[in-house]
Amino acid sequence: MSDHDHDHDHEHPGTAKDEALPGYYAILEISVRELLTEAGLITADEHRRQIEILDSRSPALGAKVVARAWVDPAYKARLLADGSAACEELGVTMYDNTRLIVHENTDELHNVVVCTLCSCYPRPVLGLPPDWYKNKQYRARVVKEPRAVLKEFGTVIPEGVEIHVHDSNANMRYLILPQRPAGSEKLTEAELAGLVTRDAMIGVTTVKLPVGASPGGRS
Amino acid sequence: MSTENLVKQRANDIGGLEAGPIAMVDHEMLPWEKRCHALLDILDIHKIVNTEEKRRGVEDLGSEMIGKLSYYERWIVSAINVLLEKRVLTPDQLAKKTAEVEARFKS
Repeated sequence: MSDHDHDHDHEHPGTAKDEALPGYYAILEISVRELLTEAGLITADEHRRQIEILDSRSPALGAKVVARAWVDPAYKARLLADGSAACEELGVTMYDNTRLIVHENTDELHNVVVCTLCSCYPRPVLGLPPDWYKNKQYRARVVKEPRAVLKEFGTVIPEGVEIHVHDSNANMRYLILPQRPAGSEKLTEAELAGLVTRDAMIGVTTVKLPVGASPGGRS
Repeated sequence: MSTENLVKQRANDIGGLEAGPIAMVDHEMLPWEKRCHALLDILDIHKIVNTEEKRRGVEDLGSEMIGKLSYYERWIVSAINVLLEKRVLTPDQLAKKTAEVEARFKS
């Protein structure tokens, strides 16, 4: 980041040990935050709290939602009808007026999520998006040639299966309810949640039983 | 070359364009990136700079900056431009503060 020579080794206040002299953009961030704090528009506490919230979000939350939908048909119906409210039931709160919309993958339909304009993503249930989701190639191509893009993720969608690509925005975020893998009937809800990956909930892959697992349950 | 497309399709509007293979990359967030993310979340919560304003601010950076700045570099520059536009901050305040912060870390 910074090309500034920095040969003394004392620690700077407010920086982690492994952080060198902050670069230009890091200084901008600190400056804006301090100015707004001094103006009384934001507080240092809420900034720290927000970092804790960011740290607490992960795809494990989305996996919990998916596993519940797989074992509880009534919950699944509520989830598909109103994603935000159903997530709230499991303690996951969407922010602001953001609507969470859940689409279900079936034998006839595969769904995949993108944000072509920027990087909108269902952060409360999946955490932060991977870099490839924010990069140009995925955003440009998945809306035009989803089959080819999915194939690059190792996901081959049969020709007879329709693909829907959902383009997110600041007020509408999407979560994909993947298909429950065949042979998972005997797994517990927690074990099912363990199978659900971030990428399956974005829709670029499917949920699979671990390699070596025998069909019909755990071996 | 026609300039029509520059008008019709702004820098963020890339859905459907030709592009290369997906690079399956990800990186651990740098500490300053996480602070930047948290700051922008708070700005959205208080509607000082909301998510759509931030997105539009990134778009206004133009294709060269969008192409060369990293993700969170774009966020902070966008936020600053929106804050200046809305006169929540002034250029003077910002110049003084950045000099002060820089001096603090160099000392």
